[in-house]
Amino acid sequence: MAALPHHEAGAIVLEQRFGWRWAAGFAAALGGVLVLAVACAGLFVWGVGVWGTNVPYVWAFDIINYVWWIGIANAASLLAAALVLRGARWRTSINRFAEAAALFAVLCAGLFPILHLGRPWLFHWVFPYPATFEVWPQFRSPLVWDFFAILTHIVVTALFWYVGLIPDLAALRDRARTRRGQVVFGALALGWRGSARHWLNHQKAYRILAALVVPLVVFMQSTVSFEFAVTVVPDWHRARFAPYFVVSGLLSGLAMVLVVALLVRTLLGLHELVTRRHIDIIAKLLLANAVVMAWSYGFEGFVAWQAGEHAWHSALEKVTGPFAPLTWGAMLGTVGAAQALWFARVRRSAPALIAVGVLVNAGVWLDRLVIVVGGLYRDHLPSSWGTYGPTWWEAGLLAGTIGLFCALMLLFVRFVPAISMFETHAEHGGPGVRPGVRP
Amino acid sequence: MTEPDDRRIDAEFPALADLLRTDRRAVLKVMAASMALAGLPGCGPAPETVAARGRGVPGHTPGAPLVFATSLTLDGYGTGVLVRSDEGHPTKIEGNPLHPASLGATDAFTQAGILTFHDPDRSRAARLDGQPQPAQRFERALAQVADEVTARGGEGLRILTGPTSSPSLAGLLADLLGRLPNARWHQHAPLGPDNRREGARLVFGDALETRHDLVRASVIVTLDADILGPGPHQVAYARGFAAGRREPEAGPKTNMNRLYAIESTPGATGARADRRLALPPSAIAAFAHRLAVRLGVAEGEAGSDPLLDTMAADLRVAGPGALVVAGRHLPAETHALAHAVNHALGAVGTTVHHTGPVLAGPWDESASLEVLAADMAAGAVSHLVILDSNPAYTAPGDLGFADLLATVPFTLHLGLWADETAALCRWHAPMAHALESWGDARAWDGTVGLMQPVAAPRHGRRTPQEVAAALAGRPAAARELVRERFQGDDAAWRQALHDGVVPDTALPSRAVAPAPGWRPAPPPAGAGGLEVVFAPDPSVWDGCFANNAWLQELPKPLSKMVWDNAILLAPATAAALDLENGAVAALTLGSRTLRGPVWTLPGHAADTVTLPLGYGRWSAGRVGTAVGFDAYRLRRADAPWLAAGAELRATGERHALATTQRHATMAGRDIVRTAPPVPREPPAQEPPPSIYPDYAYAGPAWGMAVDLNACVGCNACVTACQAENNVPVVGRAEVARGREMHWLRIDRYFEDQQTLFQPMLCMHCEKAPCEVVCPVNATVHDAEGLNVMVYNRCVGTRYCSNNCPYKVRRFNWFDYAQDDGVPAEAANPEVTVRVRGVMEKCTYCIQRIATARIRAKLENRPIADGEVVTACQQVCPSGAIVFGDVNDPDSAVSRRKRSPRNYALLGELNTRPRTTYLARIDNPPAGEEA
Repeated sequence: MAALPHHEAGAIVLEQRFGWRWAAGFAAALGGVLVLAVACAGLFVWGVGVWGTNVPYVWAFDIINYVWWIGIANAASLLAAALVLRGARWRTSINRFAEAAALFAVLCAGLFPILHLGRPWLFHWVFPYPATFEVWPQFRSPLVWDFFAILTHIVVTALFWYVGLIPDLAALRDRARTRRGQVVFGALALGWRGSARHWLNHQKAYRILAALVVPLVVFMQSTVSFEFAVTVVPDWHRARFAPYFVVSGLLSGLAMVLVVALLVRTLLGLHELVTRRHIDIIAKLLLANAVVMAWSYGFEGFVAWQAGEHAWHSALEKVTGPFAPLTWGAMLGTVGAAQALWFARVRRSAPALIAVGVLVNAGVWLDRLVIVVGGLYRDHLPSSWGTYGPTWWEAGLLAGTIGLFCALMLLFVRFVPAISMFETHAEHGGPGVRPGVRP
Repeated sequence: MTEPDDRRIDAEFPALADLLRTDRRAVLKVMAASMALAGLPGCGPAPETVAARGRGVPGHTPGAPLVFATSLTLDGYGTGVLVRSDEGHPTKIEGNPLHPASLGATDAFTQAGILTFHDPDRSRAARLDGQPQPAQRFERALAQVADEVTARGGEGLRILTGPTSSPSLAGLLADLLGRLPNARWHQHAPLGPDNRREGARLVFGDALETRHDLVRASVIVTLDADILGPGPHQVAYARGFAAGRREPEAGPKTNMNRLYAIESTPGATGARADRRLALPPSAIAAFAHRLAVRLGVAEGEAGSDPLLDTMAADLRVAGPGALVVAGRHLPAETHALAHAVNHALGAVGTTVHHTGPVLAGPWDESASLEVLAADMAAGAVSHLVILDSNPAYTAPGDLGFADLLATVPFTLHLGLWADETAALCRWHAPMAHALESWGDARAWDGTVGLMQPVAAPRHGRRTPQEVAAALAGRPAAARELVRERFQGDDAAWRQALHDGVVPDTALPSRAVAPAPGWRPAPPPAGAGGLEVVFAPDPSVWDGCFANNAWLQELPKPLSKMVWDNAILLAPATAAALDLENGAVAALTLGSRTLRGPVWTLPGHAADTVTLPLGYGRWSAGRVGTAVGFDAYRLRRADAPWLAAGAELRATGERHALATTQRHATMAGRDIVRTAPPVPREPPAQEPPPSIYPDYAYAGPAWGMAVDLNACVGCNACVTACQAENNVPVVGRAEVARGREMHWLRIDRYFEDQQTLFQPMLCMHCEKAPCEVVCPVNATVHDAEGLNVMVYNRCVGTRYCSNNCPYKVRRFNWFDYAQDDGVPAEAANPEVTVRVRGVMEKCTYCIQRIATARIRAKLENRPIADGEVVTACQQVCPSGAIVFGDVNDPDSAVSRRKRSPRNYALLGELNTRPRTTYLARIDNPPAGEEA
């Protein structure tokens, strides 16, 4: 690390040339956004009937995607916050885009609670505001808890990310060559001058926010699980759902950060800043999580075995019935794919790691599918047992939000310091870009 | 502003009748025409008016509904109904408590009559060679025909009617035939012939009508007779059957009836039987013979059969309380045996009554459709007038009736729709629906019920009576034609119109004795190969309800299939032929082949297939055209019900059949409970604790009890709920996706040998799981214990449905109410029509509760027990549903809930449902108790 040229961090952020790769990636991502727009337009024009949902499967891709994205957001936030709190030396290169990934993932997630409504234009009725008829939300409903959780998540993640950005925004302001850049970055930098007092307050604020984020994401992820756990649906009514959702969410978030880190490293040429060591540590974390996940699956089976005949039949049907390919896919993706990370060679190979990361994410998505849809497969009354098959409109939402996420990430790496310049400098000990001090 | 009278518009511009399916341009054209013709009501004779009491009638609140007593018919038999009219639009049909075929209840077909009345596809213009004509032109043509045939004494004139019991029509036709002795009246019943009458002729020497009194029956044996299934007698028989099984409140019933059902096609009767046996139709005839041998009526081989021995012993013990019924499609010889057995057991006069014919008709061989077809082929028919019949579709395929129609010089069809027959006739005239007609019809026991119009007939629609009178050269208004044949003064006429029933017109029972020369025929030889049974469909009957979307989407009681018919067969037979549900098979019978999907029904007789009639129509309207396959094509005039030696093979194709229930069994769960006749002590159960405080009710707290021991799965409640609550129709594709909207469904489970029915509607849980999960408070508990759905507040998270263990909530995935083609006039104005994106469910008919509450408040008294009757409860023929105030310990529902059979479905979830069930009682023969 010591060999790192002093000015590199700033140069990457400020003077990086974005070639055709960025343009091609952005075009593809915009294609995804277009798919999302079409999927939403069809949804608004014709109604949620364009999906394959029915009674009893009233939720499908809408909630699966929501749970999946919120898990990614939570885990990415948790990682970033943990890094700040731990003061890990290698956090500086990772945590800015981990925070960004968290923010964009929560934006993607936040779309679904609105899109999934039968009358999405009335989503604001979930807000506790003093309406004329004095009708308030039902505070006993997990969807209201969810609303608070998402809102808090967006606010805190955005603040966390923004507070971390302030010194770098000041640096951008100082280096801006256009008037517009000076004004925009100047406003965003909140008058940062780089005084010792500023630095002190900044560190305090940053750490306090990080300390807030850690319990928040655990609460948040547990709240998502309550959407299922408080119901009377036999396969959902489980006290262990909260930790299960935290663990599996963490898995997908780590995998997503890993994939993003590798892509950013390739795209931006950050081989020196995001080093193999960083990647190695995330991969090991991922592996550790997958082991916990394996234990969770085992526990799931154990509890089903203990919980009586119906639960045991239901669990057996999960792994042998129509949902078996999905269940096995979920297990192989989450637990199975991560096992490759025991090997150092895999942890050092970018393509292998990207493959593992994608597989883990796909596995967690399938896991959500098995919970959200498969959970209703054997409900209380056999007369209502039904079938569900997705439509392209639903698939479009998944593809579309992935496109949106990628587009936002690409915009982010282009227009915002993707790597914390000031921290990198502090860490590498050079004068480099000192915000507030004109070179 | 006066609305332009459409009669005059029709007269001037008959082609406007085709502009029903309007685009924007057509709307503008019609609007312009309306403006231009707005002055027309000033000319021409004043149309007949029907009282709608729009405004200005003292003592009448504008907007309050009016109720008319009238009659609807099925297969010619009348059912008395009370029709509710809102602002001149009929909106709901209820049973007429004074009418013997209704006693206040109806079947599903009658409930759906509202939709048929409002069917936008109903014919609205007379047509010559398919071209709309002014009504006057049709009248002139009719007068011309009357002159022509009168000159020839009626030579060449044939009149073909459907089955009818109308005294006025029968009288008019008799007059006509009296004036024109060479004319002939033919009758065509698609679901005929009724072999019961022929059986009576064989044994008693007289083709008598047979009716049963199930209330007094203690042992019932049905031989492929679906007495509890759909048909003109269903309401009365279901009521009688339930009465014979109902426990008194004081304690267990000791003389509960016992039902043995021998069936080829599973039906409601077999589902409710205490002992059921599936046999192919040919074997049922032999079975009947062996039973008759055991009872000493016939001679021959008795064979050894423990079931027959038990049945025979039971019947003997029952004596006058015994009842043996044979299905309409069994051979006349089997009916003769059943009649003779009933007579021998002394049941005639108690459970069996023989009367003169209820249906009016030309009762001789020469009156049949076959003779008409032969005459048409011989060129002996010059004028054919078809009144309310659709032979081009319903005639047996081997008659080639549709082709023969083209050979007759003058053909006239009077029908509700411009249907298959209309398309092949030169003239078509629109017929008035029963709800816009003056007329009369006899009930199954002969009681005459009057028909009076609830709405004025439009578009030149006329009744068969009017056409018959015009043919006789004496055109008259429909009302006069009925009135002049009514025996009684004006006061009696008014009273009969008010009551809907003409008193003391039931046909008297006749004493019968087997003719001395009668000897039972030997049992028929078993048929070879695959046997075929033609059967009316429980949803569209003979096809006359094919264009009724409510009935098309009504799950068939046993298969739960909608929007299709299928070749029904036993799972084992299907497996042997390598067929599975939805596989398209080719069925060859003689020289004809039919292709259709197969559907397996547990309990179907082996090596037998059932072909439901009434589908495969090619000109039914927008709803019913090209739905399913047409089994009439395979029928033969000489053997219309049964056939043997059919060949069934797979074609390799598949047809997606839509069903509302995909899982057949209870999967070992405690869902439908059955109890022995003498109940065990119920386990005393305290509800488990809840973290939420209990509600307190100062006034009534509504609740319901559904007696599974009474339910026969007839579906009347499902359609009644649909009509009352504006439940939309979603179509086959949406049902196939699991999106049917019925607020009330009847779950059907096949368990071992049993078929169990369970009506499922919102339980209105005291601790409702749906309420706590709705984020916007759109489903809440009200002060009378109802779980109410606030449509305006619903944003459509569907979370409530997830958390409803009974899955009774329905979601508007699309704008079904707008797009389902059900006209707005058919809607109940007191019930909100739901928009896209909101959840809906059973409300316990909250609009009826509100009406009762307002009435009680105006009269300053509490709501009386029984004052609030839900739509499902009102229509239920067997009294399975009781609704009322559970806060009142003396209310009927509270008393019923005290039965030891009462249980809460999924009570272990502590939802504390307000709808509870009473376990079904099985009454197996002695020595077979479980």
